[in-house]
Amino acid sequence: MTLRESAGLNRRKFLSATAGLAAGGLLGGCASTTTASGATRVRIWSWLTGMDKYVAGFNAAHPDISVELNVIATGLKGGYAQQTNALRAHNAPDILHAEYQGLPQLLTTGGLRDLTGDLADLEGGYSPAAWAGVRPGGRTWAVPMDLAPMVLYYRKDLFDRHGIAVPRTWDEFRAAAQAVKQADPAARVTTFPLNDGSFFAGMCWQAGEPWWRVDGGSWRVDISGEGTLRTADYWQGMIRDGLVATAPTGDQDWIGAMHTGRLWGLLGASWSVGSLVKSIPQDKNRWAVTTMPTWDGVPANGVQGGSAFAVSAESKVPDAAVKFLRWLSTDPAVAKIGTTFTTPFPGYLPSRDVARKAYKGGYFLGDPVYDVLDEAARRVPDWTWGPNALRIFSTVVDRMSGVKTGSATLATAVRQTQADAVTALRERGLTVLEGKA
Amino acid sequence: MTVLTPERAASVPAPAGSGAPARGRRGRGRAGLVLVAPFALLLTATVLVPIGYALYLSLFTDRLSGLGFSGPTQAFVALGNYAGVLTDSAFHASLGNVALFVVVHIPIMLGLALLLALLIDSAVVRLRRLWSLAVFLPYAVPTVITGLIWAYLYSPGSGLTALLPIDPLGKTGILPSIVNIATWQWVGYNMIIFYTALQAVPRDVLEAARADGAGGFRTAWSVKVPMIRPTMFVALVFTVIGSLQLFTEPLVLRGFTGSVTSTWSPSLYVYEAAFIANDYGRAAAASVLLALVSALLSALVMRLSNRRSR
Repeated sequence: MTLRESAGLNRRKFLSATAGLAAGGLLGGCASTTTASGATRVRIWSWLTGMDKYVAGFNAAHPDISVELNVIATGLKGGYAQQTNALRAHNAPDILHAEYQGLPQLLTTGGLRDLTGDLADLEGGYSPAAWAGVRPGGRTWAVPMDLAPMVLYYRKDLFDRHGIAVPRTWDEFRAAAQAVKQADPAARVTTFPLNDGSFFAGMCWQAGEPWWRVDGGSWRVDISGEGTLRTADYWQGMIRDGLVATAPTGDQDWIGAMHTGRLWGLLGASWSVGSLVKSIPQDKNRWAVTTMPTWDGVPANGVQGGSAFAVSAESKVPDAAVKFLRWLSTDPAVAKIGTTFTTPFPGYLPSRDVARKAYKGGYFLGDPVYDVLDEAARRVPDWTWGPNALRIFSTVVDRMSGVKTGSATLATAVRQTQADAVTALRERGLTVLEGKA
Repeated sequence: MTVLTPERAASVPAPAGSGAPARGRRGRGRAGLVLVAPFALLLTATVLVPIGYALYLSLFTDRLSGLGFSGPTQAFVALGNYAGVLTDSAFHASLGNVALFVVVHIPIMLGLALLLALLIDSAVVRLRRLWSLAVFLPYAVPTVITGLIWAYLYSPGSGLTALLPIDPLGKTGILPSIVNIATWQWVGYNMIIFYTALQAVPRDVLEAARADGAGGFRTAWSVKVPMIRPTMFVALVFTVIGSLQLFTEPLVLRGFTGSVTSTWSPSLYVYEAAFIANDYGRAAAASVLLALVSALLSALVMRLSNRRSR
C-alpha cells in the first residue's frame, strides 16, 4: 500500500511539475516585454530571405531594443495561416509579415494596428505603388519594404543573332514569339504559368483595371473587366497557337529550359534578377532586362509580390516595433546589408539609390538593371488588393485548370472567378458591388 | 474476429468477483481510476476537447462589415455551415475524386499486397528478407518526399512521360498518378501485415491440404486466404479511412500542376476553407462530415467482416 501510494504521489508530483513547466514556458513566452539585459523585446514573424541579417544589424546598433525573429513558412505555404490563427488566438507577435497582396486579407482579422499617425511623415519617400499598397481603405496599415514591378527578361544573344527586335507592344511580342518558334521549333519565347495566380493578377494589373476598388464603404469587384478579358483573350490565343509554354516557373525543368535555350524570355518581376543570377549563374552576358510590352504604346506594367510589415493591435511594445520597422524600411544600412546577398529593390527611394550604387552588375547585357526597374516602377497603374485576394489566386488557378486541355478558356476562367469572388465576399457578410464604377 | 473472442471471454468475468469485500472493491476502484487517469486526460485533451471545439466552431460563422477591416463578429448559424458544405459543388467534386481513388486504389493495392505476401510465404521466393525489405522500404519514406520524388518523375523533363500514353499531370492522368503514388507507398506495409498473418496459419492445416492433393494455388486460395480474412478486413478498414484523408500527395502535386484543384480531396477542401479562405465554420463543418463518413464506412466494413467470418 505505502509503496503504491508513494508511486501515485510521485506521479502526481511529476504531472503537476510538468504542467507547471509547460504553463511557465507559455507565460514566459508571452508576458515578458524586456530581455534579461533590460532591452525592449520585439517579436517578429517573417519569411523574408535575409531577415536574420537585417535583425542582427538592427540589434547591434540599438542596444535598447532586442528584435527576436521567428522564421515562418512562405506566404500561402503556411505563413498566412499561422499569422491569421495567431491573431485570432490573441497570441500574435508584435510584427507580422504582410505582402501587399495579403495585407487586406490579414486585415479582416481586425488584429492590425493603424499606423497612419506613426508613418505620416514618410509619405513622400516611397514609390507611389508601394505607399498605396500599405494603405487599403485610406489608412496606413503596414510599412513597405520592397516593390516588385514586372519586367521582361530575354535572351539578348539569341534575339540579336536571329534579328528579332525587342517587342515594345503585345502585338510585337506575338510576332517575336512566332520568330522564336521559327528559329528553333523546340524553343518558346516564355512561359505563361497556369498554376500561378499572383502572376496572372500581375499581368492583368497592367491593363489598368483593378480587380478590387473601395467604393464608398464597400468593395467593388471587377475581375472580369474589359482589360482583364483582353489580357485573357490575348494569352488564350498564344496558348492555343502553341507560342508559349504553360509549365510552372522556378522548378528544375524551368531552370533547365532557361539555361539550354528552350526558353528565350521570362515575364518576371524585380526579384527575378536574383533568381536568374542564382539559378543560372553560368548564363552571364546572355540575358537583358527591358520594360514590359504594352497594350497600345501607353507605358504600364503590373507588380508581382513585394513585402510589407504590420504591427499587431495587441502589441505591448508598438513604439519599439514601429522604430524597428522605420529602420527596416528607410535606413541606408538595410539596403547595404541587402546587397551582400541579393539585388534588393526597396520601395523607399533613397534606399533604392543606395542599392543601385552597391550593385556590381556584370551579369546582364543591355540597359542597366536598376534603370529598367525604376522605369517599370514609375509605370505601375493604380491597383487595390481585396480582402480575398490570396484566395482568388487559388480560385483562378482552379478555374484555369482546363485551359491546357481546351475544356476551359482563360476568359471563362476569369468570368467564373468573378462570380466566385463575389459570392465568397457576400457569404462573409460584406456588401459587394460588381463591375466598373 | 475469432482472434478477439478468447480475450473478451477472459476479461468479462474478472470484475464480477462476487465475494470480494466492499472495502477492497473501493480500493481497487480508486487504483483503477489512477491507472486510467493518464489515458483519460490525454484522450480528453487531445481528442475529445478538439472534437468538441470543432463541433462548436461548425455552428458559427464569421461576419464582416464595411470593408471588413474592423474584424469579424461571430454569428450563430445552427446547421447553416453543414447545409453550405453539402450543397457546395466543390465538396461534391472532392468526394467524387476520393471515391474514385478508393475504388481504383484499394483493390489494386490490397490485391498486390496479398499476392506478394502469398509469394513470400510460399517457397517460391528465395531472397525472402531482401525482397520484403525492398517492398516495405517506400513506407519508410515520408509522404512529402514520396510526393516530390514522383512529381519530378511525372514532370515532362524526366523521360518517364515519354513512355506513358497520357500526361501524368494532366486532367485525366492525375488520378492514376496519385493512385500510383499511394500504391507504391502502402503495398509493402500491407504485405508485411498479411505475411505476418500467414505465418500464424497452422502448418498442420497446410499439410492436410497438401495431403488432400491441393497444389500451391489451391492452398493459397482455398486455405490461406480464408484463414487470414479477419486481418484483411482490418487492413481494408485502415486503408478506407486513410484514403478518405488523402491530403499530402495531391497537395505536393498541386505545386507542379493545375490539374489538382485547391479542393481536390475532402481534406484539401477543409484545408482551403480554414487556411486560405479563413472560413473556420465551413472548415469545421466539412471535417465533422468527413469524420462521420469515415466512421460510417468503417462500421459498415466491420459489420460485413463480422458476417463473413461467422
